[in-house]
Amino acid sequence: MRVVVVGAGEVGYHLAERLSRENQDVVLIESDPERADFAGQQLDVMTVVGNGASLPVLEKAQVKNARIVLAVTSRDEVNLIACLAAKRLGVEYTVARISNPEYYSRGSVLSREQMGIDLMVNPERECARETFQLLKTPAFTDVADFADGRVQLIGLKVKKGAPVAGRTIADLRAEELAGGYHYVTAAIRRNGRTQIPTADSTIEAGDHIYLLAPTNEIPDVPPLAGYDRFRLRRVMIAGGSQEGLFLAELLEDNGIECTVLDRDRRRCVELAERLPHSLVLHADATDLELLEMEGVSGIDGFVAATGNDETNLLSSLLAKSVGATNVVSLVHKFEYIRLVPRVGIDASVSPRIAAVNAILRYVRRGRVMTVATLSGIDAEAIEFAVHAKSAIANKALRDVRFPKQGVVGTILRGNEIILPRGQDVVLPGDDVIVFAMPAAIPEVEKLFG
Amino acid sequence: MSLRSVANVVGVLQVFVALAMLPAGAVALGYGDGDARGILLAAGITLVVGSGTYRLTKRAGAQKHLTSREGFAIVTSAWAMAGVFGALPFLLTGTIESPAAAVFESMSGFTTTGASVFADVEALPHGILFWRSLTHWLGGMGIIVLVIAVLPYLGVGGMQLFRAEVPGPTPERLGPRITQTAKLLWLVYFGLTVAETVLFVLGGMTLFDAVNHSFATLATGGFSTKNASLAAYDSAYIHWVTIVFMYLAGVNFSLHFKAATGRPAYFRDQEWRFFTLIIAAGAAVIAAANLWSGDYGALEPAVRDALFQSTSITTTTGFVSADYELWVPGSQMVLFSLFFVGGMAGSTGGGIKTMRVLLLLKQTANELRKHLHPRAILVTRVGQQPVKEDVLANVVGFVILYLLLCAGGALLLGIMGNDPLTAITGTLATVGNVGPGFGLVGAADHYGWMSGAELSVLTFLMLAGRLEIYTVLLLFHPETWKARKSYH
Repeated sequence: MRVVVVGAGEVGYHLAERLSRENQDVVLIESDPERADFAGQQLDVMTVVGNGASLPVLEKAQVKNARIVLAVTSRDEVNLIACLAAKRLGVEYTVARISNPEYYSRGSVLSREQMGIDLMVNPERECARETFQLLKTPAFTDVADFADGRVQLIGLKVKKGAPVAGRTIADLRAEELAGGYHYVTAAIRRNGRTQIPTADSTIEAGDHIYLLAPTNEIPDVPPLAGYDRFRLRRVMIAGGSQEGLFLAELLEDNGIECTVLDRDRRRCVELAERLPHSLVLHADATDLELLEMEGVSGIDGFVAATGNDETNLLSSLLAKSVGATNVVSLVHKFEYIRLVPRVGIDASVSPRIAAVNAILRYVRRGRVMTVATLSGIDAEAIEFAVHAKSAIANKALRDVRFPKQGVVGTILRGNEIILPRGQDVVLPGDDVIVFAMPAAIPEVEKLFG
Repeated sequence: MSLRSVANVVGVLQVFVALAMLPAGAVALGYGDGDARGILLAAGITLVVGSGTYRLTKRAGAQKHLTSREGFAIVTSAWAMAGVFGALPFLLTGTIESPAAAVFESMSGFTTTGASVFADVEALPHGILFWRSLTHWLGGMGIIVLVIAVLPYLGVGGMQLFRAEVPGPTPERLGPRITQTAKLLWLVYFGLTVAETVLFVLGGMTLFDAVNHSFATLATGGFSTKNASLAAYDSAYIHWVTIVFMYLAGVNFSLHFKAATGRPAYFRDQEWRFFTLIIAAGAAVIAAANLWSGDYGALEPAVRDALFQSTSITTTTGFVSADYELWVPGSQMVLFSLFFVGGMAGSTGGGIKTMRVLLLLKQTANELRKHLHPRAILVTRVGQQPVKEDVLANVVGFVILYLLLCAGGALLLGIMGNDPLTAITGTLATVGNVGPGFGLVGAADHYGWMSGAELSVLTFLMLAGRLEIYTVLLLFHPETWKARKSYH
């Protein structure tokens, strides 16, 4: 399948990298020759230098033969025009990265449908959504939604003395009837290596485990891995960036008390007008005295969300030093993301990675519906729709030759959520969430094809 | 400021006042009480003076653009003119002899105050009674708003006048054109008046009394054709109808308009919720206190009279269904507090206005919160809508001016020899356009015993209160009169 990516910035580059690793034919359009060169050398993609909004450039990239166009430059208007042009040229799916809410809000002059854009991704909003997930469940290092959010994939570290520590998967599953651990363990990461577990794999303290659980049971998971129960009540956001504002709005919608700091007085007034239930303070994100005065040590979550990575990291560390827990830092530069766990900050979010995730999730729709790429590991969770012609249809799972590097996580049948066992049969019309290493994905796709 | 164009517009408005006297003359002729001649004579004089002023100041050529200063001047002079010429029917029919008292009565009518100098209104001829009620009805929605609605002449610069006459903290347009907005407001006003009249007649009131009381209710005025006000009617039905319509008159008319066009927005409006809550809470406390003290034996009359009085005072109508001065002090104090609330912005009610009270309370709460979070940026909002800081400053300024005016008025009345209770509540009742106060101007009393000087002070206060102070006081600001170079 040919995919055209417009823009080789961090989002575009990352997308191209992931897609090409999955054996898609990627064409990358980039206006800066140096960046295009760099991408061409690093990745197995074809590069075209030029403006993605111009027709000759799009033609040179053979957009006509592409199934999908992903317009992800940092400029909304270029992305919109590239998508409009691509649709006219007969491209099936178009995805635009849009930051300005005026373009995608309901009050927009031209709606998404009228412009023929299949998906608009707002990196800031995606990032806020991800941050909210992280805040809600501090024990989780990763959270991804499936089936419209009815099932979630979560990643968490197993603590010493946790109920699941030192047990085999088969052991744990045997307890299912007693109402204990009945979740599907999708992957275990130990010492930097990811492994898809079999029945006799053991879970050890210190392991990073990934599992699938129905959303309503999510609060039950952390205690199994040795964590206390947690409820998010108060959050402080240092920095009133667009991400910070979206996050505060999300928190308000969920009835969580929220304090927002910003250095710029005018931005503060804007924030205060947009956020009726939050407390907006005119202060610097690194003003330690103020953080303490406003009770940073008593809050359930701290988010550093200024537009500046260095300030965010510093502010997170300062907050941490005066007793803040559940500290999340907004990081734009990919290079810095690796730093976050090393300096002791609990988690990081990046608007660009969030956008990449959202786009990848969409790209594989059709046969493949939802994909979650997890920051720490190589495996991916994918949602498949089962057709009558699918090889896997109407067979009990234990009779399917499923690749070793993959596992069926959940079967969704109408409103029912089935955590599968060997005797369960996959029926046409079901949606199935599969967890697999990238190398096994083509093989898995064949089973559902 | 061009005095010529001010006089010109006031002349037009005066012709309207003259025409408005004709229905009263017709009523007088119909009943044959002998007051028709005086009223028609008054109409004639007003008409001649008005049209004369208009003709003398008329300028050939294009319509003149009105500045906001001229707007203020026009509105204030027009209301003063209406007060003075509206007094002619009383003087020329001989029902009032003192000019100060006649102007007081007329101004009390136009400003929808409802304070009267008559000890015995039942002895008055029908034409005069009707004229009193008609001044209420015209003043309620605003004379100028009426003229804007029917006369395209004021279309240019009409917004200046509209804003000066219907100031309110949050002006709202119902249509792109000011004429349209004015028309729609008058339509709602007229519809409600007809509805109340019909309900009164169904309750056994004579048509004449029903029309008069409806005029006074919808304008939140308070003039009655009975000495005992609404207490003269021993009918729970009539009292309940009055309560409902006083309440409706105190609500923002654009909310009624929205409801009438199928888009009811009452509950979404925070000012409405606050206004309703105040009336209900006031009534609940009064009813409880009156039942507790044994003033009332049964629940329904206690609730009805409590609700009647709390609605009447809060909306600044001033009708009376029971002599509240006989109630326990607690109930009287609740009523006294309600003098400081007033109707909703955009209603026919006067006073400080609920919106301003609400904003002030919110602003105060924010100031308190600011002590806990010194660096906080706090936005005051009504419903979801943030309120701009200059609007808040304007509200604070208004309330201070309002209280100063009350203090000044009470001081003057005190110096003139009135007891503090009468001086204070008399001032509050006139500045707030309520009508009755406590003491010598209480529920069962009238203002007729006051001297000409005292009445003149109160007349000014009524005018200032009705035009929301700024409009009137601006005329006393030296800069208003400073000449500016005109480049027209």
